[in-house]
Amino acid sequence: MLSKYAIKSPWLYRINTGSCNGCDVELATTALIPRYDVERLGCKYTGSPKHADIVLVTGPITVRAEDYLIRMLDEIPEPRVIVAIGICPISGGIFRDSYSIRGPLDKYVEVDVNVSGCPIRPQSILDGVAQAIAIWKDKINQFHEA
Amino acid sequence: MAGFFKIAIRNFLNGPTTDPYPFGETFTPEKYKGIIAYDPELCIGCSTCEYVCPSGAIKVTEKDDGTGVRFVFWLNTCSFCGNCGYYCPTDAVYNSNDFHTARHQSEKFIPTIDDDISYVRCKRCEQKIKAPVEALLIRAYDEITEEVRHQTSLCPDCRRQEQFERM
Repeated sequence: MLSKYAIKSPWLYRINTGSCNGCDVELATTALIPRYDVERLGCKYTGSPKHADIVLVTGPITVRAEDYLIRMLDEIPEPRVIVAIGICPISGGIFRDSYSIRGPLDKYVEVDVNVSGCPIRPQSILDGVAQAIAIWKDKINQFHEA
Repeated sequence: MAGFFKIAIRNFLNGPTTDPYPFGETFTPEKYKGIIAYDPELCIGCSTCEYVCPSGAIKVTEKDDGTGVRFVFWLNTCSFCGNCGYYCPTDAVYNSNDFHTARHQSEKFIPTIDDDISYVRCKRCEQKIKAPVEALLIRAYDEITEEVRHQTSLCPDCRRQEQFERM
């Protein structure tokens, strides 16, 4: 019965994998400032990976962050939607081909939505989250049918 | 105390400050650096944009069949720095104020811009040359005469030869 309500209110969880903090500031802006207010879409930030439904990943996955990222992703239960925020996790961005970068993110996990930008505009994040919610609905319905 | 009520009443009358974006229109500044736009009419295929791009988002290559130059822009590595627009001699590449960058994973490797410009033939020797662009001619010459038009329709070799013949 709870899954009926879970569709309407996915919980967001964000992982910083060595980001420059630009994208994290924009994510905080999207969540905390009433002007952008991601909670209108029914989303809520959570502090625990075990509660996460939509995962927002920032940063180019540095060598030091790689191990933490893999352990973190193991803790997040299925079904989940992975959103790559910023150009760093999508392609490496300007850090691509660096000796200390282990990205892109889709080497480690199946990414669903890419939101590019450096940093992204809060409106773009809302766009990406809205797309992620649509995928989340499909995924949770498939999960319960199976 | 009175000041507090003044602010409270004003805020009540102004309505919510929340941007209605995913459900309505939003405000985008005129000079917002968004997704790159490209105008093949103005492009001379000099590949300066490719050279100055710090993240390698632009590739300017010869077309496979050799009939022109291909311009490919990949959104997913562009850092919106605006170098390409700054250094472009003809303003063929510039930042538009389009910010819709959220894409599904299946569209990840599809280039956002995939356009090409065609070569034209030199009037004397039929060699392939890049077509002269009006914007660059206006910057280079005070007045665009018939002579200038004739000179720019030749390949560099023919132009040199013609200059010698005239002397």
